[in-house]
Amino acid sequence: MLQTKEKKKREKYDIVSNVIIIVFAVLNLFPLYWLFTSSLKNSSDVIKMPPDWWPKTFTFSNYTDVFNNQPALRWTLNSLFVAGISTILVVIASSMAAYAFSKLNFFGKNMLFVIFISSLMVPKEVMIVPLFRITQDLGMVNSLWGMIWPNVATAFGVFLLKGFFDSVPDALREAARIDGAGETRTFLQILLPIVKPGIGALFILNFVQVWNDYLWQLVIGQDKNVKTLMVGIATLMQDLNPNFAYKMAGATVAAVPMLLIFLLFQRYFTRGIAGGAVKE
Amino acid sequence: MKLRNYHWKENVTGYLFILPQFLMFLIFIVYPIIEGIRLSLYKVQFNQESFVGFDNYVTLFHDPVFFKSIYNTVIFVVFIVLLTVAFAIFVASSVFDKNAKYVSFIRGSYYIPVMVSMVVMSMVWGFLLNPANGLISYAAREMDFSIVNLLGNKHTVLPVIIFVTFATNVGQAIILYIAAMIGVPKDLFEAAEVDGASRVRIIFQILIPLVKPTTIYITIINIIAVLKIFVVIQLLTGGGPNNASVTMMYYLYNNAFKYNQLGVASAVGVIMFLITMLLSIPQLRAMFKEK
Repeated sequence: MLQTKEKKKREKYDIVSNVIIIVFAVLNLFPLYWLFTSSLKNSSDVIKMPPDWWPKTFTFSNYTDVFNNQPALRWTLNSLFVAGISTILVVIASSMAAYAFSKLNFFGKNMLFVIFISSLMVPKEVMIVPLFRITQDLGMVNSLWGMIWPNVATAFGVFLLKGFFDSVPDALREAARIDGAGETRTFLQILLPIVKPGIGALFILNFVQVWNDYLWQLVIGQDKNVKTLMVGIATLMQDLNPNFAYKMAGATVAAVPMLLIFLLFQRYFTRGIAGGAVKE
Repeated sequence: MKLRNYHWKENVTGYLFILPQFLMFLIFIVYPIIEGIRLSLYKVQFNQESFVGFDNYVTLFHDPVFFKSIYNTVIFVVFIVLLTVAFAIFVASSVFDKNAKYVSFIRGSYYIPVMVSMVVMSMVWGFLLNPANGLISYAAREMDFSIVNLLGNKHTVLPVIIFVTFATNVGQAIILYIAAMIGVPKDLFEAAEVDGASRVRIIFQILIPLVKPTTIYITIINIIAVLKIFVVIQLLTGGGPNNASVTMMYYLYNNAFKYNQLGVASAVGVIMFLITMLLSIPQLRAMFKEK
């Protein structure tokens, strides 16, 4: 008797909490719904009060305006370049370092790893003044390369991939070495293919992170043509043009690539984000 | 002799493998930290630098806007982190044992705003909160609220920024908690259920204590993320009204790139660096203890 009553109460909390969570989930997505639908309204409908919950007439003119009035295509290509090249460099540098920290023995290994990992906690924005001056000295202000190189220093990839390398048995590497494979070949042909899921997770997480990065790209890309998509689109917000449909179209252009990446690679996010966290 | 030779070779191989990462680390992390500390002791005007000792720090601590920026940053950190941890535990503990489709629906709907970035979300919220034609301002007018321009009022601007930042970023914490809770051994719950423990009790007495490492991790990464809060301030309020929402990062940015006060900006950077280092000690400790 008592048991069943207890059971009922438990389920009640479970139902109520899940209903609340679903309601919040929908509310949480509402701003994005509003973003998409507003971007398809014409300039008078978008400011109509009470609003149209669903556009009465659809227009794509806001999108053509964004691409005609602004170098939005250029910005998109810039973002692809910066995020793509940064990520490739991060994957190369951190897979090599992670392999060394996981499988090789060298003097000072543990201490170096501790120092690397400590740097994880320091956001590069905090050191933005000296970082800007270094980039200036290297002649990379107002260049996409200036946006790329500082990203490569992040130790996140080393931390993430070391976990994946650690789970590969040492025997495998030793067998390859006994068979006469050099260190480089062992790394490239034996170990790297095994940690491919880790590389995939790192690739996507890092790509998204650089794509969505803002402050550093804002200070480096000063001319209109070297801006990235996030920075360029944000300038629409300060634009005097009062047409919000136009601004929302710009924001949608910046959002869609990331939405696609998320829908296509959802499992990598779960794995990568959780893999980068402490292991319980 | 042969053995020593072997060790020497293995050392070199190891160093060569970490060399690219290490170089980047030296150039873009170590050197900027040292250079930042040095610059904070100098007055910098274009190419001229003159040593001024702690003058920049003295200037900072005489500037009421700097104090305001510290106060606001602390308020943001405390409220956003508490809200994020509490809400993420609530969501994760309620959904983690449901079927996989439902879990990935919840995960997705909370994570999508994280994906589309703070820039895009700030733009949408800027539109929703726009006093002339924003949906929220419209609703406030319809319901006869006294305040229609929530971002233009010094009493409402902080809660609004806290909410927007929390709602945009909570998805990451939810993903981490769900992963951690799925990893908790099932027999622990079964044993508790046999004993007749309610779900709420199971959550508080089994689940929350067992995911403590995740809580520490989420708390620290969120503190550090909120500490450098910038985008939402620049795009929604510009630090206003009347510096009511200025943050340390926004203050740093303005000094460096608007007022050309590189020395002062570096001093703010050094202070923020020290805070992040201090805050990350428990996390680093936890990470090394597991080895």
